[in-house]
Amino acid sequence: MIFCFIGAGSETFKRKMRLKEIQRTAHQAWSPAEHHPVYLALGTSAQQLDASFNTTAALEIFEVDFSDPSLEMQLRGSLPTTNRLHSIVWVNFGMGADGTGGRLVGGSENGTVTVYNPEVIMNSGAEAVVGQSDKHTGPIRALDFNPFQSNLLASGANDSEIYIWDLNNFSSPMTPGTKTQPAEDISVVSWNRQVQHILASANPSGKAVVWDLRKNEPIIKISDHSNRMHCSGMLWHPDVATQLVLASEDDRLPVIQMWDLRFATSPLKVLENHTRGILSISWSQADSELLLSSAKDNRILCWNPNTGEVIYELPTTNQWCFDVQWCPRNPALLSAASFDGKITVYSVMGGSLKSQQQSTADKISSSFDTMDPFGTGQVLPPLQVPQPTVQDTIVPPLKKPPKWVRRPVGASFAFGGKLITFENPKLPPVQSPQPVPRQVFVSQVTTETEFLQRSRELQAALQSGSFNNYCQAKIQNAKSDAEQDIWKFLLVNFEDEARIKFLRLLGFSKDELDKKISKCLGKSFQHNGHGVDAKDLAEKMQRLSTERTEEATDARTSGSVSPADFFTQTPKENSNFQIPVSCARRCWLGNFEGAVDLCLNDGRYAEAILLSISGGEELLKKTQQKYLSRQKNSISMLISSVVTQNWRDIVQSCELDNWKEALAALLTYAHPEDFARLCDTLGGRLEHERTEKRCLQACLCYICSGNIEKLVECWASHRDSSSPLDLEDLVEKVMMLRKSIERLRNSEVAVQSPILVEKLTCYAGILAAEGSLTTAMTYLPENSDQPAIMMLRERLFHAQGEAVGQQPLNSFNRVNASATKPAAPAQTPAPKAQVMSQYQPSGPSQMAAQQQPPMPSIFTPQPAPTNTRPGLPPSSHAVPPSAYPSFREAFLPPTSCSGSRFNADHLYSPSSSQPGAPVPMYPGALHNQGPAPPMASGLYAPPGSGYPQGGPGAPAAKPFMAPAVAPPPIGPQEGWNDPPTVRGGPRKKKVPDNYTPPAPITAPVMGFPVEAPQPHDHAQVPPGAPREPSVQLLQQLPAERVEQKEIPAEHMVLKSTFDSLVQRCQLAARDPQTKRKLDDAAKRLGFLYDKLREQSLSHNILNGLHEISRCVASQNYQRGLEVHTQVVSSSNFSEISAFMPILKVVMTIANKLGV
Amino acid sequence: MKQERWSVVEVSVINTVDTSHEDMIHDAQMDYYGTRLATCSSDRTVKIFDVRNGGQILVADLRGHEGPVWQVAWAHPMFGNILASCSYDRKVIIWKEENGSWDKMYEYTGHESSVNSVCWGPYDFGLILACGSSDGAISLLTFTGDQQWDVKKISNAHTIGCNAVSWAPAVVPGSLIDQPSGQKPNYVKRFVSGGCDNLVKLWKEEDGQWKEDQKLEAHSDWVRDVGWAPSIGLPTSTIASCSQDGRVFIWTCDDPAGNTWTAKLLHKFNDVVWHVSWSITGNILAVSGGDNKVTLWKESMDGQWACISDVSKGQGAVSTITDTQQSEQ
Repeated sequence: MIFCFIGAGSETFKRKMRLKEIQRTAHQAWSPAEHHPVYLALGTSAQQLDASFNTTAALEIFEVDFSDPSLEMQLRGSLPTTNRLHSIVWVNFGMGADGTGGRLVGGSENGTVTVYNPEVIMNSGAEAVVGQSDKHTGPIRALDFNPFQSNLLASGANDSEIYIWDLNNFSSPMTPGTKTQPAEDISVVSWNRQVQHILASANPSGKAVVWDLRKNEPIIKISDHSNRMHCSGMLWHPDVATQLVLASEDDRLPVIQMWDLRFATSPLKVLENHTRGILSISWSQADSELLLSSAKDNRILCWNPNTGEVIYELPTTNQWCFDVQWCPRNPALLSAASFDGKITVYSVMGGSLKSQQQSTADKISSSFDTMDPFGTGQVLPPLQVPQPTVQDTIVPPLKKPPKWVRRPVGASFAFGGKLITFENPKLPPVQSPQPVPRQVFVSQVTTETEFLQRSRELQAALQSGSFNNYCQAKIQNAKSDAEQDIWKFLLVNFEDEARIKFLRLLGFSKDELDKKISKCLGKSFQHNGHGVDAKDLAEKMQRLSTERTEEATDARTSGSVSPADFFTQTPKENSNFQIPVSCARRCWLGNFEGAVDLCLNDGRYAEAILLSISGGEELLKKTQQKYLSRQKNSISMLISSVVTQNWRDIVQSCELDNWKEALAALLTYAHPEDFARLCDTLGGRLEHERTEKRCLQACLCYICSGNIEKLVECWASHRDSSSPLDLEDLVEKVMMLRKSIERLRNSEVAVQSPILVEKLTCYAGILAAEGSLTTAMTYLPENSDQPAIMMLRERLFHAQGEAVGQQPLNSFNRVNASATKPAAPAQTPAPKAQVMSQYQPSGPSQMAAQQQPPMPSIFTPQPAPTNTRPGLPPSSHAVPPSAYPSFREAFLPPTSCSGSRFNADHLYSPSSSQPGAPVPMYPGALHNQGPAPPMASGLYAPPGSGYPQGGPGAPAAKPFMAPAVAPPPIGPQEGWNDPPTVRGGPRKKKVPDNYTPPAPITAPVMGFPVEAPQPHDHAQVPPGAPREPSVQLLQQLPAERVEQKEIPAEHMVLKSTFDSLVQRCQLAARDPQTKRKLDDAAKRLGFLYDKLREQSLSHNILNGLHEISRCVASQNYQRGLEVHTQVVSSSNFSEISAFMPILKVVMTIANKLGV
Repeated sequence: MKQERWSVVEVSVINTVDTSHEDMIHDAQMDYYGTRLATCSSDRTVKIFDVRNGGQILVADLRGHEGPVWQVAWAHPMFGNILASCSYDRKVIIWKEENGSWDKMYEYTGHESSVNSVCWGPYDFGLILACGSSDGAISLLTFTGDQQWDVKKISNAHTIGCNAVSWAPAVVPGSLIDQPSGQKPNYVKRFVSGGCDNLVKLWKEEDGQWKEDQKLEAHSDWVRDVGWAPSIGLPTSTIASCSQDGRVFIWTCDDPAGNTWTAKLLHKFNDVVWHVSWSITGNILAVSGGDNKVTLWKESMDGQWACISDVSKGQGAVSTITDTQQSEQ
């Protein structure tokens, strides 16, 4: 039975079977289960003396502190008593809410029942005795309290006396019925554990009586006919109401009988193992399969009374143990009181049993106990001298684990929001024959329902490409105006004419503006969309001059009623339009500078500027400066800004309350390559205010500029985006903005900015936690080498339960923990170091991982030919060709262009010179046409960030507001942007100077002398970087124009073929729209020719162009279009965006026209 | 201030695995990816099921324990497919899959009583297993390569028995920023244990020796389980403990030194609470109690813990709860 082995180790503090021990000859009572901490009350035993012959009696309370490894128990209180005890119980009654207190009840040898307050004992108070009765006539050996009503206490004494005490009314006990006859000692009373009004009593003769207190009479008597049962103990089954056990003290029948009242003729079971009479039993309330018994054979056994099997023996005693008690609170513990004067606390969970370090008292005791001269009058046990053991004895725990360690239920989380649960049905004590299903449930836990719903909607929109609908729905459901604004702006990015719509969103209506202009000019303007001829121009100039005065007056009027924070005054001029002869002469002679000076001196600014345009960029600039230097009012600031393109001043110095106006001005005037930066600057200022309102306004700026990173930063700075829904709020906007930019660029926008990576990773983490593994994967930033992201990716990949046999993806190298192969050359003292280094992802495997086909990515563009949803262009950048009129023609003076077209006949042809003309558009991604791709040149943009600098508001595919109609009204109460005020009169409208300043191209370059030789380099300047104009640069530009190269001979065929194609089409075209397209095409092909001159096109593209050219020559447009598609799809879009779209348009038209 | 947010927590059973265990199941743990399920039972066996795509294919039936198996724990997959199990038979067995078959990799018999809990440390620490036993000791088994396991033992960690161990996430003390790559991070190994002395104890390795770092007292009965929450990037450490006394406490520590822990009572249940488990993201706590009930708990914005779901009978549950956040007023 005892499982022993030797030499388990040299540790000093082995867990001991024997946990606590104290020298006392006493009856014991554990504090109730609810009581904390655990106390043990000891009342000096009657009829026993210890070795000191001490005849005093006391009630002592010890704290059993199991966190203290020593055998000591701390004495918490002591009360001298007049009587020694035969029995003691600790009752819940009167227990405080904090789980302390209760009542101790002692049954003494002289028949007194005393009720103590343990709290008072421990506090050394005087009134510890709260009740006392000497109703009983003899020693009280039996005490038990009702488990249901803790105020009810049963006691039994000699002469068949049984009393039921109500602790609330202690003076008058009841009886359970008439005394049984013949009168006998009551050795034990016990309340039923299931039915509260059932009590049993037993006497040494072996008879047990069951009382029904409601009937106040005995209802059954149990007696075995051997007459040898000498009942020392009786206990009800903890779980089964009808069963009880009786223990016999008789050495001739040292058994425990188990009775069932339903078959009360003979015992159900007889537990036989003890060799001498049983002194005490205790049934575990925590596990009914554990019944303790101590007997005069010195053994303490633990039975499974349901099977009759001895499941454990405490190998501990060499003495009779007259009282064993399970600890109610800690079910693994029991205390045993032995006749050798020890109270010992044991555990049934096994451990080592060390040889005892016996105390002096112990030695004295042991020297006497062998003699036991003052014994209990009972049969002396055989002498047993303890064998000193030198080794630890390892005592195993109970053979079968007790119920309280058998975990019946569990729930554990697993990756992907899975919850693993199991439970075990509560079995009846008797095993049911039917097998119990042993199931484990895997559940999906989703806690963020709304988040998931919104995530699904977003995902659906992203996959289907129905961005407009998505944004529309967001606008409709927006909870706040600010939210609605943001979604409106985001939506605009997916629409044509984004800039105009942005303006409208800002409260500036182009139509109103047109009306106003018309009113001012007294004439309705026709939009005809292309350049004006000389006659038209002349007419306008004429009108300008005649209407000037009137206009100025009007402007003053309106200026006075407007808030006009920016500009309130109208410049006044003396208008005199007689051109001096000397001036005219100089004009004819080409001496523009002289002519301009003359005009300026005469105050004829309009003429001066007109003339200076012909005189070249430098002259124009000088003239402008002179003009502006003479205008000292605030309107000139605007004009100055417009003319010199110095929008930085505006965005840096405007009142933030006027952010709308500033943004509107940018939307109207700023050049694409500047636009994003200017928007960002404005946004930065707004953001800097750190108020929520400003931050939202800043977000709008960033949406206009398409700066995802800034949007995320700004959003994150003023909004908590830690909760899933807040994060969803952000991600929705980011994804939409990103999609719109990708649509513009027709290429992926990589996630590079750390904050965005962080947010998306967080987002993916939440999705994963909610079980949306596939979706989570799509948001996880690709190409990241952050270990956390790689691990999540790897985990997501495997978690999705992919088809077996698929190449697994490891973001870590496996550490060889093989049992057969050495993983480390020697005993590695710090294995973790090795592990860490090995955990670094190997480059190749990661590379391979990224090329894994099964890795889905929503960032993958979806050029799929099948992707033909209605209303959405198959190719995201495929804005209708008509939206691509030449930006250059519209806005840029020839000076800004490559020189070849400087003298082109459309020098004065800007369609925009007609106010309200059909809105000229930027060419597709004009700003990308430079030799350096925008990403590379985008110093302002975060390194490597993928979005175009222009941003959706500026760039190419978006229509751009004609400068002539530019002055956007500030709602109805305009001041500064009333046409007259802004433009200084119709006269200026004849002149494209105010919107075709020389600066736009030079400005970005100026900031970058290093890159100066590349006039097309649209490098941007960090917002804070100084950008002094570089005079040298300006001077270089004309020179460079002169040096303009010819188209290389081998590529001339392209020009001739395409030009001829356009001409053929123009001849054949009938409807005005097509004609317009073709007009535009003629101009836009110039970009191609520029590139050919610069020899900046890659080999691949050139080959493609030649192939297209051959197709065109053979009139095989279909094939040409196919080649076109190939070229576009295989090239850097920024390199070809300026001309490839129009080439496609032309070929399509040609195909249709059959030319 | 009163703020209400309605949120619907759904717990839907997506797979019911019939384990065919012949006696009580005591633990069920999914592997790192959530594709394999390990179960253990009083029938002395450990079983592994492939549960991908809603399936339940028995992969292994591991026999080797001579008593009820209490817990199983998966090692991080970077070490291979390794599972540890602990049993009433006083043994810890580490199983490993080699070439598709599972075998004993190591058997540890250094405990004198039931081994109640096993838990693998964060992968950053290497292959290290903590084992808590009814003999009151905690063993730390570290794989040192070449079939060697280094054993350290904390004797008398919990008088009359240790019921649970749980590792702290690998966090470099005093720093939330990742160490420069190439440098060996200076991790401090810590774990928490709970025992029959009603205590929650924190242990820390210093100079290769395990030392008691903190002793957290709040429970009035056996601590049945402890769970150190995964790090969510915040400097706060969080531990959940549950007890025979029906109480679940959430312990938090904000100071980098890890010295000041405060306890917040999550709930007092009417029955023993056997098990606590944090979600992978550390924001939900699953509590399983003696009444066969599983409840899910979440901390609201104002730091109050609210029951968000009551999963009973394995049938799954849909609970609509009000996440009411209100102050004293």
